[in-house]
Amino acid sequence: MNSKGKKKDGMTRRDFIKVAGTAGVVGALTLAGPGIPFIHAKEKVTLRFLNSETDADCVKVMAMTSAEYEKKTGVKVLVDTLPAQDAFSKLTASIKGGMPYDMSCLIFMGDVLLLARDGHLVPVTSLTKKYKFGPRILIPYKNEQYWYPYDYNLCTMFYRKDLYQQKGLNVAKTWDQLVENCKALMLDENKDGVYERHGIALPIGTGGPASYMSFAFLWAEGVKIFDDNFKIIFDSPEMGPKVIKFLDFFEELYKTMPSGMTQIGFAPPLTLFASEKITHTVFTGKICTHIDKFAPQLADKYGMTPYMDSKGVSKAVSFGYDGWVVVKTKYSEESMKFMEWFTENHYIDFLHSSPLGFQPPRMDIYDDPRWRADPMIKKYWWAMQAMWDYLKDPNLIIASIDTQGPYVDVRGGKIFNSFALPEMLQNKLLKKMSSNECLKVAAAKLRKSIA
Amino acid sequence: MKSDWVINAFLVIGLLVTAVCIVLPLIHAIQLSFFQLESFVSEPKYIGLKNYSETFADSVFWWALLHGCIYAGGSIIFQVSLGIGIALVLSKSFKGQQIVRGLSLLPYLLPVVIVTLTFLWMMDGTLGIITIGLAKIGIRDVPWFETPFTAMAMVIFVSVWLWTPFVTTCFLAGLQTVPKALYDAAKVDGLGPWQTFWQVTIPVLKPILTIIILLRAIWMFNKFEVVWLLTQGGPVGATEHLPILAYRKAFLMFNVGGGAAVATISFMILSIAVFIYFKLSPIEEK
Repeated sequence: MNSKGKKKDGMTRRDFIKVAGTAGVVGALTLAGPGIPFIHAKEKVTLRFLNSETDADCVKVMAMTSAEYEKKTGVKVLVDTLPAQDAFSKLTASIKGGMPYDMSCLIFMGDVLLLARDGHLVPVTSLTKKYKFGPRILIPYKNEQYWYPYDYNLCTMFYRKDLYQQKGLNVAKTWDQLVENCKALMLDENKDGVYERHGIALPIGTGGPASYMSFAFLWAEGVKIFDDNFKIIFDSPEMGPKVIKFLDFFEELYKTMPSGMTQIGFAPPLTLFASEKITHTVFTGKICTHIDKFAPQLADKYGMTPYMDSKGVSKAVSFGYDGWVVVKTKYSEESMKFMEWFTENHYIDFLHSSPLGFQPPRMDIYDDPRWRADPMIKKYWWAMQAMWDYLKDPNLIIASIDTQGPYVDVRGGKIFNSFALPEMLQNKLLKKMSSNECLKVAAAKLRKSIA
Repeated sequence: MKSDWVINAFLVIGLLVTAVCIVLPLIHAIQLSFFQLESFVSEPKYIGLKNYSETFADSVFWWALLHGCIYAGGSIIFQVSLGIGIALVLSKSFKGQQIVRGLSLLPYLLPVVIVTLTFLWMMDGTLGIITIGLAKIGIRDVPWFETPFTAMAMVIFVSVWLWTPFVTTCFLAGLQTVPKALYDAAKVDGLGPWQTFWQVTIPVLKPILTIIILLRAIWMFNKFEVVWLLTQGGPVGATEHLPILAYRKAFLMFNVGGGAAVATISFMILSIAVFIYFKLSPIEEK
C-alpha cells in the first residue's frame, strides 16, 4: 500500500467504500422496503396490546388478565404500556413498519376515525351494541363503532366544603360567585401579601392539561367553536361576546391562583388541593383516591360541583375519554375474541385498578354489584353518584375542545393541538392583551389550524 | 493485508448503520415532505412543493427559526465559556482534584428527562424548592416560565447545566496535549495568564474548540426533549423552535408532510451553517 492509502494493484480504499456503501444502501433499502409482512409465529398466536394506562395497578391487571387468557386459550397477549399521548404515533408506526399492534388504547376520537377511514381498524359494534353507553362517548362511523370506550374522565370542580361552612359561603352558581368564593377563602396569615392559601388552580400552559381543565366554563356558557359545517364561529356575533366575558372572568379568577399556572400539568391541581394550598380545583374522581391516600384528614371536607356559566343557568363538565380499538391484522378475529372475553369478564377488574378515576361509560356498570363492591367506590359513593348523575342529566353539557363540531372529526384534534385556546389565556393573563384582541388572535389560529 | 480487512469491515458496518439509521430515514423524511398525509398510515397525496411554500409563508416558522437560533446561540455561548473556565480550573493541581473532576461530569451522566423534570419541580411556582427558598429571602412570584424572556432563559439555563460538562471534558482532555514548553516559553516572554490563555492555549486548542462548538451547535439546534418537557414551546409560542414545530405539525396537527418539510428545512439550514462554519474556521490538518 502506498502513502496515499492506495493498493498497488486491485481496488483503492475509496473504491471499496463506494462499492460497500452502495451495497449497504441498496441492501438496507431492500430490507426496509414495503411489502415485508410481519411474520407471526405459526405454532402459537401472540396478540400485541398497546396499553396507555401507566398506573401500576392497571398494568398489573392487564398482566394478570393476559396470563389468564393464555392459560385458558393458549393465546398469548403481550401488553406494551406507554403514555397515552404517544399511543397514536406508536400505533401508526407499528402499522407502517409491518408489525401492527393487534389492539390499542387511543385517547383522541379523531385518531380513531382517521384509522377507521383508512381501513386500519375492525368494527367493534358487536361488543358495544350489547350495552347502553352514556352520552357523547360512542362515535359511529359508517354505521359501525370502531372503538370501545372504557372511561369518561369527566373533569369537574371540587371545593372545600368545610371552609365554605366556616365562612357561610354557598356553592357558586355563577362565575362572579366563584371568584368571590375563591377570594374569600384566600389566606394571608402574616398579612404580608404572601398568601399561604389560594383560591383555585387552573392550568394555562401550552398543552393538554389547560385544554382539558380550563375551558368547561366556555361550554357551560354555550360557546361553540364550529358551526354545523365546521366553520369557525368562535368569534361570531353570538359566540364572541361570550368568549370575551369568559376572558374577563378568568382574569379575575387568575388573581386568586398561585403562581406557576403555565407550568402545571394534570397532577399539580390535585396535589395543591390535597396539600391545602388551594380551596378549589378541577379533576376527575381520582381526586378522592388521592386525598384518601395522601390527605385523609380532608376525606369528608370537600364537595363536588360542575363548571358553571355566568348567569347561573347552565352547567358543564369536560371529558377526556379513553377507549380500545382492534387493529386490522391477520389476528383480528383472535383480537375480537380476546376483547369480548376481556370486556365481559375483566372490565370491572380493569375499572377497579383506578376505582374513581375510571368512570364507566357503560351504564350497566353503575348497577353492577361487583363494581360497586370496591371499597373506594363504596366509601366515595357520593362522588361517583354525582358523576353518574352528570351522565343522566340532559341539561348538563359534556364537551371538550376536540369533540367540537356537528360530529367527531379530525378537525377537532387539530384545533385541540393548535393550543389556540390555552394561548388565548396566556395572551390575556401574561401578555395583558385586551379580551377582544385575544379572541381575534385565537380565532385566527383556530382557522389556520384547519385550513 | 489482514489489517486492511479489519478496517474495511468496520467501514462496512459503519456505512450500513449510517445508511439504515440516518440516510434512509432522511430520504424518507424528504420524500414525505412532498406529500400531504394526515398520519403515517394515511394515503399520501403528492403535492409537490406546497408544504414548503406554506411553511415559508407561515410567520410561525420564522419565529421558530429565530427561537431556535436564540436557544442554540445562548446555550452554546454559556456552555463553551463556562466549560472552558471550569476546564482551566480543573487542569490545575489542587487537593481533591480527581473528585471534583468526577463530580463536574455528573450532570452529563444524568438522564435528560430526570434532570429536566427535577428542574421543573424545583422551579414550580408554588411548591418548588427554589421558589420557596427565594420567597424566604423576599423574592416572590418569580415568573419562571410565564414570560417569553424567562421561559427562554430557563430552557437555556437547564441546557447549560446539562451539557457544560461535555465542553469541560473535551477541553480538559485538550489541555493535557498542550506542550508544557509553550507555557514555559510564554512565561519567559513575560506573558500573563490572560495573554497566555489567548495566545497559547486557544490557538493550540482551536481544532478541538471548533469541533466542540460545531457539535454543540448541531445538538442544541436539534434539541427537543428539554424544551418540550419544560415549556412545550410556550408561553404563547415563545420557546417553540423548529424541532418542536416539526413535531407538532407531524404528530399533533395531522400534517405529516408539513412536519417533514420543517424538518427538511431545518436539516438544510444546519448543513449550510456547517459548511459556512468550516469555511470560516477550517480545521488545520497536522
